[in-house]
Amino acid sequence: MITRSDRFSWRSCVLFSFALVCVMLLCICAGSVSIPLADTLTALWNTLWGLEVPQGISKNIILNVRLPRVLNVALVGAALSLCGAAMQGLLRNPLADGSTLGVSSGAALGAVAALALGVKLPGIPDGGVMLTAMASAFLSLVLILSLAYVLDRSLSTHSIILIGVIFSMFASSVINLIISFAQEHIKSITFWTMGSLSGTGFSHTRILAAALLACGVIILRYGRELNAFAIGEDNARHIGVNVKKVKLIILITVSVLIGICVSIAGSIGFVGLVMPHMTRMLTGPNHKRLLPTALFSGAIFLLLADLAARTLLSPVELSIGVVTSLVGAVAFIIIFCQTRKAR
Amino acid sequence: MSKKTVSLFLALLMMFSMTAALAEAITVTDMFGREVTLAEPATRIVAMEPGDCEILCALGCEEALVARGLYCDYPASVLELPAVASGGDTNLEELLALEPQVIVMNDMAHTKEQVELLAQNGVQVITTNADSIAEVYENIRLLGAVMGKNAEAEAIIADMQATFDGIAARSEATDKTIYFEVMPLEWGLWSAGTGTFMHELAEICGMQNAFADIEGWQPISQEQVIERNPDYIVLVTGMGETAVDEVKDRAGWGDMEAVKSNKIYNADSYQMTRPAPRLKEAALELYDFLNDIAE
Repeated sequence: MITRSDRFSWRSCVLFSFALVCVMLLCICAGSVSIPLADTLTALWNTLWGLEVPQGISKNIILNVRLPRVLNVALVGAALSLCGAAMQGLLRNPLADGSTLGVSSGAALGAVAALALGVKLPGIPDGGVMLTAMASAFLSLVLILSLAYVLDRSLSTHSIILIGVIFSMFASSVINLIISFAQEHIKSITFWTMGSLSGTGFSHTRILAAALLACGVIILRYGRELNAFAIGEDNARHIGVNVKKVKLIILITVSVLIGICVSIAGSIGFVGLVMPHMTRMLTGPNHKRLLPTALFSGAIFLLLADLAARTLLSPVELSIGVVTSLVGAVAFIIIFCQTRKAR
Repeated sequence: MSKKTVSLFLALLMMFSMTAALAEAITVTDMFGREVTLAEPATRIVAMEPGDCEILCALGCEEALVARGLYCDYPASVLELPAVASGGDTNLEELLALEPQVIVMNDMAHTKEQVELLAQNGVQVITTNADSIAEVYENIRLLGAVMGKNAEAEAIIADMQATFDGIAARSEATDKTIYFEVMPLEWGLWSAGTGTFMHELAEICGMQNAFADIEGWQPISQEQVIERNPDYIVLVTGMGETAVDEVKDRAGWGDMEAVKSNKIYNADSYQMTRPAPRLKEAALELYDFLNDIAE
């Protein structure tokens, strides 16, 4: 048995970073178009040190198409996984996740409504859509939790998930309705239900990175409080946690992060649900270790899923949500059975 | 005359009158392979799909239309007709209330069950389908027969064929490639492969379809478009005036032959994708674009 320290050690940080960089390199080297490894590495190396990159197809594909996509996929995967882990801890609910709680659908609904109504923020492209998606994600979360609270004071696992699923279905049909009535060109329903990162660029990378940095720091700092929540809200209160404040901050942060992810990548299911579970098998339930590890594992998982979506049927592309749902559902059933057996 | 002779005579008379009636009746086989018999050319008809609506109007049968499918919008005069939901949202009650003799449906957009149900309720249903120009001709012939406009149908087909032949005769076969974009990057790129009108139009113009290795409409990888480096880009996305600039601004597309030489054409997406006589205009416009002929 490995002795588990209380914190996320430097050693594991280096280990996971190394794994992430390896997977990212793999994802940049492999793709629909096969490019010689040497060309790929030269293009990357020269860009990294600001050297002249030889012109050609490989430069365009590697630096303008694959690199931003790989970075965006890693950031979205990390963000979704972190959000899932935080919500599972906060609500003491192993099934909590953006997609099961209806937050993703809420965000998608906000984004679609903003697109249909032409909501715009001066200065920031897509700012209006993102802001509306965040607000809508938060409102959906509040709505779902208060409904669950009214129905069942103990906020039990089943009632929250049930309401979340019902809300997701409701939001999906409203999205469908808006898309069929809107005069504007709105991305198809598959984007909002399955997600896709094809065609995203460095402008999205900047936004995602900024959001993940800001929200990630906030969530990671609440590791200790989330540990207290895991034992029970009363327990948290007894050891001096400002329950209301922590809850509100985490819920807002999660909504912001999911809102941004959904408006850029659509709703990608199962990442936030499955990855924290898999991570927990590795790190144990301590949030101080779980949360940072979930960041890395989510990124790695989504990178591999996107690699499969890009390459399996080349030159045809799959929806990333198809891959995550396929792998995620199977993985989830296996985990579920194993934890049952262990009990 | 004996009783036997009289009955024989009567039987012969009946047979004769029946064949006379049958000669007037119209029997067609539609694209589902169903045989449909009409006593006379239809005078009350509903067209569910835009392509069929365009064919019927080209045949000079606009008067006979009592309603149109929601997406039928050409010629503009059909917009005045009442619109009915089509495809997955087809409303049988709404259709039956219009009391049409014939409903023209598409076998892709409508299920066999929907067609059978309507047929059982006394409305004749004709299904059409076309993935190739030859099949568009078949549709035109089919609808021409239903409307009693066989000569007009043949005239439209001859005109289309003459146009395509003319373009093919003027075009030299080259290795140059055209990339057809049917969905923009923002939504995930889609292109058109074999079994589409776009593929056929490229062939008529002597060009190669850059995505001839896919079948029908498929989501494709952006990397593949960059690597295949098409000589021409034809946008069939219906995204409006800014579509060409959006393509030029895409990261990584700047070195593409079509972008460097500014050979990007924002085509009329309906004209190029609908199984209708306007494919002729689509071919002419594509030819003009490929050969730098200003409109």
